[in-house]
Amino acid sequence: MESIHVIIADLSQLTRTGVSAILRQFGYPTSCREIMHPDRLTDYVFKNHNTLLIISNSFISKCSSDQLRNLTARTRYLFKILIRDSGTLLLPIHTFNEIIEPEDNDKIIFRKLEKQLQGLLKPFTAGIVQEEISDREKEVLRLVAMGFTNKEIAEKLFISAHTVITHRKNITSKLGIKTIAGLTVYAVIHKLISPDIVN
Amino acid sequence: MLIHSKMKLAEVIHLNYHLLQIISRFGINLGFGDKSIEHVCRDYFIDVDFFLEILNSYHNKDYFPQKHLQGFSVGLIVEYLRKSHEYYLHTKIPEIEQLLQRLSDSYPEETRETYQLIDKFFTGYKLELSDHIQREEHKVYPYVFSVENAYLARNPTVEIVSSIHNYSMDDFEEEHDNVEDKLYDLKNILIKYLPLPADPRLCQAVLFELFRLETDLNDHARIEDKVLVPKVKYMEKWILEHFNA
Ligand SMILES: [Fe+2]
Ligand SMILES: [Fe+2]
Repeated sequence: MESIHVIIADLSQLTRTGVSAILRQFGYPTSCREIMHPDRLTDYVFKNHNTLLIISNSFISKCSSDQLRNLTARTRYLFKILIRDSGTLLLPIHTFNEIIEPEDNDKIIFRKLEKQLQGLLKPFTAGIVQEEISDREKEVLRLVAMGFTNKEIAEKLFISAHTVITHRKNITSKLGIKTIAGLTVYAVIHKLISPDIVN
Repeated sequence: MLIHSKMKLAEVIHLNYHLLQIISRFGINLGFGDKSIEHVCRDYFIDVDFFLEILNSYHNKDYFPQKHLQGFSVGLIVEYLRKSHEYYLHTKIPEIEQLLQRLSDSYPEETRETYQLIDKFFTGYKLELSDHIQREEHKVYPYVFSVENAYLARNPTVEIVSSIHNYSMDDFEEEHDNVEDKLYDLKNILIKYLPLPADPRLCQAVLFELFRLETDLNDHARIEDKVLVPKVKYMEKWILEHFNA
């Protein structure tokens, strides 16, 4: 299943820790990253597709005008949740998919986060019955897509070449993709490798 | 239903419009009125038996008169194969490329990178296919012509024998790779994995073309592997047997 990048952008360590703790209660495949400086936004938020950005008002007030513009752009791959804390809001309210209010209790916060996570997951789960590939297979697939030979993959993963071949057979039969070029496209779509590697 | 020479060609097209691509491959233009297949073939100097066998095997997947097809000359068979190559490279592939281009343009800027990958994948496929075709046209077909010439002249010369030793149908069989794998992958990527198609109709149009091309290529490879190869093998064998005698 497609994984979701969650970025928690807040100046306060306490808030970041609290939000990650709530997120951990979800069974969704999420990778969570906490940032405390606006410069990091460019590194994480605008590059990854399929991102849930949880950002506070006070964090936004530290952003440059370029960063603000990037934040306002609406894409279907970036969902934004505002944590409304102190200060005036520098962005129009409709920039955000959801707002966490100071008075929200943990149940409400949980529900708001869940709704956004589901929204992000929906396009990838709807109507697709896919045989799940295992983490090991994913790792092999990643290396295949990067152009490594079976022998090189075997060495990297400390397994036999025979095992690599078995993994590759399973990957092909699960995904219905036979060629390396095809597996590469799959790997990029599923963000196992970055498109730059292909170029 | 088997297509026969007395049938009107127009009727046949109504029966199965996919046969349009076959008749164009034989150089037949539309506007043939109510003429029978026999008649149209006479107009265009087409071997009617061969034409019918190709129509029928294309029309009906279970119909494949292997032995009968092998009875036709290498010239006829190769001419048809060449025409098909031309059709793939100069008609089908550009059509699909255009569709893919439109598909990739229909995605929003920030996600376009992923869809450009698809274009790239298809470009890779195109190269693979044209390499395959080049090799056949420049190496394999000239070779089979020379074998047929020697066989028909009942003249197993040193040259032809050494050329058989150098490259024979056994080698072709071995190297004749499957050009459909990448198409199969592309279909699955579009059907199963491409996230959020911006324009589903475009996606469907591409898929439709890919399915068609795949079927056509399979059919084509079947003629190469099951008709041309055994036919030329038979002649190679005759030449080698009569060289020492
Ligand atoms: Fe061919
Ligand atoms: Fe071929």
